[in-house]
Amino acid sequence: MISAIGNNVQEAYANLSNAKSGIGKIHHLNTRYKDEFVAGEIKLSNNDLMDYIRFKSPALNRTSMLGIAAASEALKHSGIDLNDGMRTGLISSTTVAGMCKTELFYKEMVDKSLHLEVLDAHDCGESTEEIADYLGVKDFVTTISTACSSAANAVMLGSRMIKQGMLDRVIVGGVDALSKFTFNGFNTLMILDKEWCKPFDENRRGLNLGEAGAFIVIESEASLKRRNGKALATVAGYANANDAYHQTASSPDGFGATMAIQQALKMSGLSPAQIDYINMHGTGTPNNDQSESKATVNIFGNNVPKFSSTKAYTGHTLAPAAGVEAVISILSILNDKIFPNLNFTTPIAEFGLSPVTQVTSHRMNHVLSNSFGFGGNCSSLIFSRV
Amino acid sequence: MAAKAYIIGTGCISPQNTTDENYFFETIIGPNGDHFPAIEPSYKEHINPNMLRRMGRAIKMGASAARMAMTEAKLDNVDAIMSGTGLGCFEDSEKFLLAILNNDEQFLTPTSFIQSTHNTVGSQVALIMKCHEYNYTYTHRGFSFESSVMDALLSLNEGKKNILIGGIEEHTPLFVELNRQAKKFNTDTTHPLFEGKTHGIQMGEGSAFFVVSSEKQNAQSSIDGISFLYKPKSSKEVLDKINQFLDSQNTALDNIDLVLFGFSGDSDFDNYLLELLPLVSNHSATAHYKHLCGDYHTAGAFATWLADKIIRKQEIPHTIRINHHTKTSIKSILIINAYLGINYSFTLLRQC
Amino acid sequence: MDVLIEKLKVQIIEQLNLAEVKPEDINPDSPLFGDGLGLDSIDALELIVLLEKHYAIKIQNPADGKKIFESVRTMAEFIKSQGKS
Repeated sequence: MISAIGNNVQEAYANLSNAKSGIGKIHHLNTRYKDEFVAGEIKLSNNDLMDYIRFKSPALNRTSMLGIAAASEALKHSGIDLNDGMRTGLISSTTVAGMCKTELFYKEMVDKSLHLEVLDAHDCGESTEEIADYLGVKDFVTTISTACSSAANAVMLGSRMIKQGMLDRVIVGGVDALSKFTFNGFNTLMILDKEWCKPFDENRRGLNLGEAGAFIVIESEASLKRRNGKALATVAGYANANDAYHQTASSPDGFGATMAIQQALKMSGLSPAQIDYINMHGTGTPNNDQSESKATVNIFGNNVPKFSSTKAYTGHTLAPAAGVEAVISILSILNDKIFPNLNFTTPIAEFGLSPVTQVTSHRMNHVLSNSFGFGGNCSSLIFSRV
Repeated sequence: MAAKAYIIGTGCISPQNTTDENYFFETIIGPNGDHFPAIEPSYKEHINPNMLRRMGRAIKMGASAARMAMTEAKLDNVDAIMSGTGLGCFEDSEKFLLAILNNDEQFLTPTSFIQSTHNTVGSQVALIMKCHEYNYTYTHRGFSFESSVMDALLSLNEGKKNILIGGIEEHTPLFVELNRQAKKFNTDTTHPLFEGKTHGIQMGEGSAFFVVSSEKQNAQSSIDGISFLYKPKSSKEVLDKINQFLDSQNTALDNIDLVLFGFSGDSDFDNYLLELLPLVSNHSATAHYKHLCGDYHTAGAFATWLADKIIRKQEIPHTIRINHHTKTSIKSILIINAYLGINYSFTLLRQC
Repeated sequence: MDVLIEKLKVQIIEQLNLAEVKPEDINPDSPLFGDGLGLDSIDALELIVLLEKHYAIKIQNPADGKKIFESVRTMAEFIKSQGKS
């Protein structure tokens, strides 16, 4: 994982444990609003990134480089040898893929017919193929784009393909680099907070954007046994549902979110009381946090488990958000630790729910992770201790 | 994968007259120079005008084709929706991008940004029919629609009953022009696409949607399986994969009645398919389709629609034939789709 | 005021791409949202940009739009009150 809180999981863990946010002044994104807003930017420039992944290619854009950095870390950590004859897939996700580069050159493409090759790296599939080729994954590649729930859906598809015996293991996650396109898009929706976001706070004003690449490796039990590997956690449940309320807004009754959580629980065979911690979607927008709180109350009633949104660490990284939060959820399980919901002071009056605000030790067997996106796309994942 | 996906409803908007139920490629429309524009229906018949006002062409084409498929299947709702699109709602992406660049990030409005999101078609379709179920959008070049098919087969195995799947692609005048400047296009109209004598592609667009079901009902064909091959290094690798796939479907290449080839007309990318063609031609009828729909990420959706239609009609239109094998009946069709020599997919449809 | 109202109607139709609606179809006192023209939260954001673009009025908090965009008349009154007509 590479994000504003570190170039790898180890750095991220240190910052999470020290309650140190990665959100700050914008350095790399060249927007006219760079001094007005904050963002969860990765500290490496594009040149630094090329050095970091030890791969220089003029065709690469920031999105692909972030994907390569994160996916190769995940694969290395898994100890898997891609040449052992087992079937390995890559399911990535992204919302705008090569837009970070297209937007820099589009004017010149249009006005002067220059840099037309940039167009070849614009689409979502291209970034996935750059990652696959770098790693040497051949057996299966695809890309999902369901806005901010994308990486959760990659986790879900990968799990299903393994369950049905189509793959032995699969690298799943997502990647998005900050772009003027998304920045201005969210700005027109008037849901960006110029200061640090404060998820689940009565006075929250909006989200901070971030960028990341985040992947996990999922493997079948048989394949894991064969190579004497050790799992970090299991994917115990997953579900995707649609709010079908509005193209961008979440329903005030949290219908889609409730349905996703409910179905994920059902699949895992767990009761709501068995969930030890929820890593919320919690973007910090008035609308999301209201809807997600409602869904939480719908499911858990008066016994809402400990919860936090870690978006105030990383910013909202869009497609990879659920990948970032899958890594964080697994770190929570491995270390029995809840990473806090930064910047929170006042509960939302309608619900009176308070997230965890300090780094907290807490025995954890089952973690629920929510991710919701435009188009009413709602996904919930449950990770469990091995 | 054990389940069959029975096709119980279809809708197709393409550069040919495919929204006319009686049309079956007696005559075909050639490219507009170097690209194919889709023939768009009157959208008001399919979509509420208040929703229509915000939609770009990809969304209109997608939502309309989905509506046609649902109407034919006589369903109001489904258990899952999976869409595939390589470039998503490109018109809106371009609109928002140009607004950013031309106005120095000022006076921007959210509508084109919102609609530019890749999963807009799938979510608008869900919104129209209030479908709260599983909703995925795949955006992987020549695997976009094919991933939807695979997901549908997975979902039918998991017990879902009716599923809406589709592929959507749109081009814009500026996008066509940029590709023209990049010399991506084939303007040669004297040689058919399957001869390997031309360079570049003829860019196409369109949308095809299907309602597939675990139960046969009125279906005449089913999608029995799909297989993917990423960046093969030889035609042998392609052939091996096809044989392996057909073997898993308890059949073999010699038993396939019709093979539909996705020749793009770009000989740089078509060479593996060109090498396969003579191997297939002895036993099977052969035909192609990108001279009907053009080349684009989700041309596989058009090919699937065409295959279903051929099985329904039990006739191979003369306008698409490569060889002239006579078949008394068309019970099985293999689609070999390929995108830029990168994404190969193999789809098996059977009469049912 | 009436001139401003007529101008606004045309601008609203254009900004929101209301192809089926003619200026005379819009009653200046009917609600723009919900029952009236059937507009939603995205349209509200579009109208905020309309005010910025045509009348140099900046609205920082989208919640303020609720009162301003009640009807075409309230919009016109707001523009007048800002001295920007």
